[in-house]
Amino acid sequence: MITPSGVWLSANMIQHDILIIGAGLAGMRAAFEGITAGLDTAVVSKIHPLRSHSCAAQGGVNAAINPKDDWHDHAYDTVKGADYIGDQDSIDMMCSEAPQAVLDLDAMGCPFSREDNGTISQRAFGGQNFPRTAYAADRTGHAMLHTLWEQAIKLGTKVYDEYFLLKITTDNGRASGAIVMDIKTGQLHQIKAKAVCIATGGYGRLFASNTNAMTCTGDGVAHAMRAGAAAADLEFVQFHPTGLRNSGILISEGVRGEGAYLIGKDGERFMHKYAPNKLELASRDVVSRSMTTEILNGNGVNGGVFLDVRHLGRELILERLPQIRQLSIDFEGVDPIDQPIPVRPTCHYTMGGIRTNKFGHSEQLQGLFAAGEAACVSVHGANRLGANSLLETIVFGKITGKDMVDFVKNREGREWPSVDSADVQEVSGLIAKLKARPSAGGVKQATIRHELTNAMQEYCGVFRDPEGLNKAMAAVQNAKADMENVFVDDKSDAFNTDVITAIELSNLVLLAEATVMAAITRTESRGAHSRSDYPNRDDANWITHITSTVKDGQIVLGRDNVRTLDNPKYAPAERKY
Amino acid sequence: MTYIQNMAMDAKPVVANEGTVTFRILRGTIVGGKLVQKTQDFEVPYDARTTVLSALEWIKGEIDGTLTFRRSCRASICGSCGMYINGRSRLACKIKVIDLLSGNEHKNIAAAKDGVIEVGPQRNQPVLKDLIVDIQPFYEKVKALDPFVQDGAEKEEHVNKNSFEQVNMVSNCIMCGACYSDCTAMVENPNFFGPAALAKAYRFVADPREGHKTDRLKELSEKNGIWDCTRCAMCIDACPKGVAPMEAIVKLRSLAIEAGMMNTIGARKSTSLKGEIEDWGVVNEPFMLLRALGPIGALGQIGNALNLAKVGKIPSPFPFEHKPEKLHEISAIYKELKENPLDVKTRNEDTGPGAG
Repeated sequence: MITPSGVWLSANMIQHDILIIGAGLAGMRAAFEGITAGLDTAVVSKIHPLRSHSCAAQGGVNAAINPKDDWHDHAYDTVKGADYIGDQDSIDMMCSEAPQAVLDLDAMGCPFSREDNGTISQRAFGGQNFPRTAYAADRTGHAMLHTLWEQAIKLGTKVYDEYFLLKITTDNGRASGAIVMDIKTGQLHQIKAKAVCIATGGYGRLFASNTNAMTCTGDGVAHAMRAGAAAADLEFVQFHPTGLRNSGILISEGVRGEGAYLIGKDGERFMHKYAPNKLELASRDVVSRSMTTEILNGNGVNGGVFLDVRHLGRELILERLPQIRQLSIDFEGVDPIDQPIPVRPTCHYTMGGIRTNKFGHSEQLQGLFAAGEAACVSVHGANRLGANSLLETIVFGKITGKDMVDFVKNREGREWPSVDSADVQEVSGLIAKLKARPSAGGVKQATIRHELTNAMQEYCGVFRDPEGLNKAMAAVQNAKADMENVFVDDKSDAFNTDVITAIELSNLVLLAEATVMAAITRTESRGAHSRSDYPNRDDANWITHITSTVKDGQIVLGRDNVRTLDNPKYAPAERKY
Repeated sequence: MTYIQNMAMDAKPVVANEGTVTFRILRGTIVGGKLVQKTQDFEVPYDARTTVLSALEWIKGEIDGTLTFRRSCRASICGSCGMYINGRSRLACKIKVIDLLSGNEHKNIAAAKDGVIEVGPQRNQPVLKDLIVDIQPFYEKVKALDPFVQDGAEKEEHVNKNSFEQVNMVSNCIMCGACYSDCTAMVENPNFFGPAALAKAYRFVADPREGHKTDRLKELSEKNGIWDCTRCAMCIDACPKGVAPMEAIVKLRSLAIEAGMMNTIGARKSTSLKGEIEDWGVVNEPFMLLRALGPIGALGQIGNALNLAKVGKIPSPFPFEHKPEKLHEISAIYKELKENPLDVKTRNEDTGPGAG
């Protein structure tokens, strides 16, 4: 049962000024702003906050802290990395706020690694011209997440952990709250709120091989679309160059930042052919394409190439890359001190998300906010730079949190929206229908998931072509049809993870359809979107975001301008590394 | 397109090219407010890559969707999938089926009996359903120790490269509950804070930016705190992240004694033990009882002593009866430890044999 900190309206209805869905870095950082501004703020998460996928971020967080660095350079690197369709107002804001956002975390107690003189250590990351990635060994996200959780305890933040989002409710074009399920009991609750923030992360589980947690199913993005918000940039999916070959588990770019080589089957480096200056530290899309090309040309082993750190020496590996070493031993059976690590490009990050202005506020659905990977602010455009994702969570968690406070205190959010208990009945009916469906003649959710994610991997991955994209669309349509017949074995109320994974799958199916539609529509190659039939970037037609909205149950694509600034350095130029 | 085909093939959770193995799973449901448990066997195909988690996912996806467990990152960093696997608390995502079947000395895994993999919920916590336990009590204990850096008089303004060496050891913790599940002190005293919470507490005591180190040590020296640990070392074995919670507890004890917090049974027992061995080379239990509990407390232990006497285990009250021949060697050990103490604080210059 919910322990009241908000106001109870009835047995299963409660209200909070600010409702945040997702308890990772972005959500917890936004909650910090709500609480410290004195507003009744609650966080809902389908898993305990410390289980959030933010904890898996290894490499670090970018910020121009070093006096020799300049946030303008960071912003330029980000605009270029985004292949010129990141929103420049958001990028400038993120990079100028970055040093303070990192120092905030430091002041809260985050144990960032240090130099002898006490300053925060920084390492080199891909696609950037200065070593500006602050880190806490090779578990930066974990250290930051634990720090924000510690602050949540200090402040007494109300967290509904193990509550699952089932619907974003609306009241005349304004977000009014959410319907959530208490996973422990199966009971549904309606939470009414003046401002709702989606911080549910990405949907990398859409691809068969990925670095993502099994919970990264894009629930918040899908529900926001259903509620009337637009999503954007869904065609841009980042394939991280170095996932472990077998499991897809992430090996941080920080390893290349420390000097690791990418080598083929004969032990020869190959990145000089593709990025003569930055080599292994070119932008992620560039490195992933280079590796895939090498593998397709027969320079790989069992579908992967190798990441070699042996020359860095035992001592450095043990001191700076302890977790990476452990992951290689545990999941690949390889000790990087003695052997190169088998790696391959693996789905890592979804640049797309809920379309917002630079304060994280949706323009279609008032009172709906988004932060972190779930949002499309858009600071990453067509390709995210390594260590800009942790940065996005703490900068836009903070900025969005402050904007929600302003919305609730000074703007349209002062008034309570009204909610309708019919929404609870509707969701409850859908779950009852799912549970009632017999297995005879039905389709197993594991089958749908397997077929969909493999088709996305094969036909909508690092390289895309029209024939493949059509096959991907056919697989999506099959999955949509199969979802009408999906059944669950578990009919109980308490901890029904069978029902939860089926609903997560329905969220993935919606995002799959929008992703493939956008990938078919964008007839150019830009950033992480690489079309073999349109190999060049087309600035005349495609400096724009593709948006996706749901109208009458159908996905409708649109366009939204890239927000530009009058900065000559940000003019589109050829992207070389 | 061979690469892409390979990728698709690799993505299957389990490939049946190395045979099948029996998973014996302790399932549980709450019926009328009471937990009812029974084991259920599943035959699971596996290969060299199959983890316990991927096997459980396979069962849930292909055989029985009612099987219930927590999981998320599958890379041993989120701490969701803590379970009791073949007699130990482990992370399901980190343990491979082949290691359980044939044993793996390097990973400290013994070979499974009869080739069966037994999986049950973590212990020392109420079971809610199948492999899911109620994690609330575990977290309440962490919360009770004020797990956040506090401003205060003892805050140091400057940090350096080595400042977080001690912090880093314990901040590896992912709160998976494995140590809590295998803790033997918890069985005797369910109110014991437990290894994870105390390791977390050490993280703050060791942080130069913490302003209330002494207050924390005082609080930790009280009932259910650092002196309730039995030092069985199960938590060190159980921890999937190498945190070694018991070491953190020992370090907290050293710091508490260093700070003069002798007004606990544990602290007095500990120092008297040290004194006995240093002086006599042996432990004289009646003397130690006297020092640890005081005269009244020691009298209270007479019952125990008589019981021990019955089974012939009562030690001699005379300290001079037996004295080791090479007392000077013991003295040398003490001297060495005095000069190179256990590294409980980060000291720039400290690289001696006692370090970390």
